[in-house]
Amino acid sequence: MAEVAYVKASRIFSGNPPVRAVDELSLDVSDGEFLVLVGPSGSGKSTALRMLAGLEDVDEGAIKIGGKDVTNVPPKGRDIAMVFQSYALYPHMTVAENMGFALKLRGVNKAEIKEKVAEAAKMLDLTKYLERKPKALSGGQRQRVAMGRAIVREPSVFLMDEPLSNLDAKLRVETRANIAALQQRLGTTTIYVTHDQVEAMTMGHRVAVLKDGLLQQCDTPRALYDKPANAFVAGFMGSPAMNLKTVPLTSEGAKLDGIVVPLERHAMDTASAEGLNEVTFGIRPESLALVGSQHHGMEMTVELVEELGADALVHGAVRIGASSERFVVRVDGRTPPTLGQTVKVAVRDATEIHLFHPESGFRLTN
Amino acid sequence: MRRFLDRHWYAYAMVLPVVVVIAVLVLYPLAQGIFFTFTNINEGNIANPVLDRAATYTGVGLTNYLNVLSGDPSFGSFWSTLIRTLIWTFGCVLCHYGFGLALAVLLNRQVKGRALYRVLLILPWAVPAFISAFAWKYMFNAQYGIINQFLRALGLPDPIWLGQSDWALVAVVIVNVWLGVPFMMVALLGGLQSIPGDLYEAAEMDGASPWQRFRHVTLPGLRSVSSTVVLLGIIWTFNMFAVIYLITGPNPNTRILVTYAFERFFSGASRDYAVASTYGVLILSVLLVFASVYRRALRKQGEVW
Amino acid sequence: MTVEAASLKAVPATRPQRKRSERSKAASIALHAALVIASLIAVFPVFWVLVTSFKPDARAVETTPTLFNESSVDNYVRILSGDKGDFLAWFGNSVLIALMTTVIAVFLSATTGYAASRFRFPGKRSLMLSFLVVQMFPFAVLIVPLYNILLALGLQGTSFGLVLVYCTTAVPFCTYMLKGYFDTIPTDIDEAGRVDGLSPFGVFWRLVMPLARPGLAVTAFYAFLTAWGEVAFASAFLSAADESKTLAVGLQVFVQQNRTEWGHLAAASILVAVPAIAVFYLVQRFLVTGLSSGAVKG
Ligand SMILES: Nc1ncnc2c1ncn2[C@@H]1O[C@H](COP(=O)(O)OP(=O)(O)OP(=O)(O)O)[C@@H](O)[C@H]1O
Ligand SMILES: [Mg+2]
Repeated sequence: MAEVAYVKASRIFSGNPPVRAVDELSLDVSDGEFLVLVGPSGSGKSTALRMLAGLEDVDEGAIKIGGKDVTNVPPKGRDIAMVFQSYALYPHMTVAENMGFALKLRGVNKAEIKEKVAEAAKMLDLTKYLERKPKALSGGQRQRVAMGRAIVREPSVFLMDEPLSNLDAKLRVETRANIAALQQRLGTTTIYVTHDQVEAMTMGHRVAVLKDGLLQQCDTPRALYDKPANAFVAGFMGSPAMNLKTVPLTSEGAKLDGIVVPLERHAMDTASAEGLNEVTFGIRPESLALVGSQHHGMEMTVELVEELGADALVHGAVRIGASSERFVVRVDGRTPPTLGQTVKVAVRDATEIHLFHPESGFRLTN
Repeated sequence: MRRFLDRHWYAYAMVLPVVVVIAVLVLYPLAQGIFFTFTNINEGNIANPVLDRAATYTGVGLTNYLNVLSGDPSFGSFWSTLIRTLIWTFGCVLCHYGFGLALAVLLNRQVKGRALYRVLLILPWAVPAFISAFAWKYMFNAQYGIINQFLRALGLPDPIWLGQSDWALVAVVIVNVWLGVPFMMVALLGGLQSIPGDLYEAAEMDGASPWQRFRHVTLPGLRSVSSTVVLLGIIWTFNMFAVIYLITGPNPNTRILVTYAFERFFSGASRDYAVASTYGVLILSVLLVFASVYRRALRKQGEVW
Repeated sequence: MTVEAASLKAVPATRPQRKRSERSKAASIALHAALVIASLIAVFPVFWVLVTSFKPDARAVETTPTLFNESSVDNYVRILSGDKGDFLAWFGNSVLIALMTTVIAVFLSATTGYAASRFRFPGKRSLMLSFLVVQMFPFAVLIVPLYNILLALGLQGTSFGLVLVYCTTAVPFCTYMLKGYFDTIPTDIDEAGRVDGLSPFGVFWRLVMPLARPGLAVTAFYAFLTAWGEVAFASAFLSAADESKTLAVGLQVFVQQNRTEWGHLAAASILVAVPAIAVFYLVQRFLVTGLSSGAVKG
């Protein structure tokens, strides 16, 4: 059990120009926490995780585990266990040997290893397969062996790099729940890397969003969703993505297709202090609604309707200034509009509007 | 510096033994060999610890190089020998590659008894070279050799294979081809097996004929293996002295650069180490030039190697 | 109308369906014929030596060779009984030298190949290039300097000195081959091992070596053959005493100035070839994968 801290840690790959794969990352993970690192491909998630594991050099800054600086400690001295995306099971060892290997290296006696392996195998429903080689297992079973190998060690930190990405959709949802429950039960600090924001939202106590090696925001899933710190996080978290458009600003609010959406005081003040005449306007599809033609609203021409069952997503074009922008609206699944129809769209609740600086992307709303 | 060692000491520790062995057993002899080329060293004037005799050879500048490169027959007719070496090398490697590829393609098919064919076809590789040389020398014998008996039975002419004629060169090429095909075949077979099957299926969907599939899927898929094994084959064949020396001895019709150097080195009363070393240095230079041209040509075609 | 019906019926009949995987009979016969002929050519010289090894020397040089001609095992008996020189001692020397070469060369090329496959370190490129250059060495011509350096190291005339020389000739290619093989083992395995508590050497020894068995087998085969049948170095670097010769050197006694004892030479050759072929048989199923991954990656 241990807390983990990145202290302005950077990893720079030499090259021309050098790549700052992880750039001054500062992050504190408390004991027993489940932290998810999420971000688009190439954002440096794996690199950050591998730095913590000791598999990647830390070029600047430091890394601490349990309050101890481990920046220059090799992996074996860090008391961590890792689950790889490819599982990296040892092909020449049986499942039992795979799971017990780390203990064997530590000189734990055979009986104890056997007992611990048996216990973990029972927990993961692997008892039947202990004598098999990894080659003779299905993808899901291999994934569980990889988990088992990590659990048996009783490390102070679990690291997982996209451990579910090789599973089919149904198994992934199931395993997702199992991992979260297991972590809950063991209470081991866990850092989990994924590029899937649904996984991030459902599993993490807190979620850290990375982009181009820079930490964008680290907070609970709820807070990330409700108060994204910048336009990138706003667009990245949530499915379907938030509608983000640059719109002109007037003294009453934001101007969209003839209507003016009133904005909260604080945002207006910040914007005028910055001298902005445009803002990035963000609104989630579920914060928009179709309204009757007598109401105030933007006119939208329906271009695509995605029926999801309970609800439907309506994609359509709205005129903003001279150009036409695409918006997505979540509507009741039973009465969706038809293709080509012109509908009126209104904001449900002005407090669900997110405003961002059009250049820096920083949040203007409270 | 500390950081440098910290990061790389594993790697250096692992390569160190090889570097030491190579430095001692290659670099030092090479340096000494190059030094010899500027002297008149031979058996008569070299230091001899057994007889307790000090070295008496002297520096002669570039004389050895001038003598050799003049093409003088008493120094091995360098240029015509070089040409024969090139004929020998490219003849052998072409046959190695051609037969190796053909057999690899045949073996890569679903054919009954494939494992047995494979073992039999690789067998020549496993036979020590001096035994193969002896076996072929015996078979090539003009009087009691089985090859001539076979040719006579077919009513074909039966040349004196290992005499003072170009038949001798043909004979050693045949032996060397027999020896070298298995290596090529095995390497190319591995290359073939690494070409994904769906590439062939895709080509078939596109309507490619078997020949077109070979031309546009198989050959490009083998490029990387081929470029490596062909280079190695050329280097090895260029320096292949055992086969020629054991089969035909010092025969001017099969003389290539290495065998002449060895001849110079071992036979004759005076054992001319200086000229032998000069040949050694020239061989190395020819190969170095060739290898760098080869690599450049590959790189131009976009091969990262 | 009738014409149409007939032609409709005829269509399936004229185009018999052949399964994709099946070959036509003729193609199949041609394929087997080519393979059989090639195999015969590959095996025949060895077979012919075997046939000759049972013939007395005089019968081996008859102008119309036959399969059997006063054949017996006399040649073998006389060679093994030491009549023609200390065959068993030569055999022992050869085995010792070849095994030492195999072990040392495999070890050296495995460590180097692993470092080249896994680590990025300054000088790696030049190291790999220098291996290529070493292949170009006309070693036979460097016997004098090699002799000198072995003398200086006190290794001249010892088996170990000879073993080292063989290693220099075998290691460069073996390293290429093993590097290629190690490249096919995912680095994730190494990293999992590091996290599980192994040092980089531990990873090499306990994970990568066991996984590289096919590659190692081929390397061993190559190194063994390098040492087993070599003549020039063995005659230059071993002491001239009869009991310290290797087989390849010792067998030269059968090739006298103007007369060759073909029958005895053949029998001795078979005795020499058998261990090499046995080693070959042990590793042959690994040959294709082991060698090619090295050559593919180069
Ligand atoms: N060994 C390396 N040398 C140079 N650049 C590297 C190296 N490893 C990673 N990078 C670069 O570092 C950046 C971050 O890579 P990383 O693997 O951490 O991304 P990731 O967030 O895990 O992406 P993914 O979701 O695709 O796995 C990328 O731009 C990548 O190209
Ligand atoms: Mg990754």
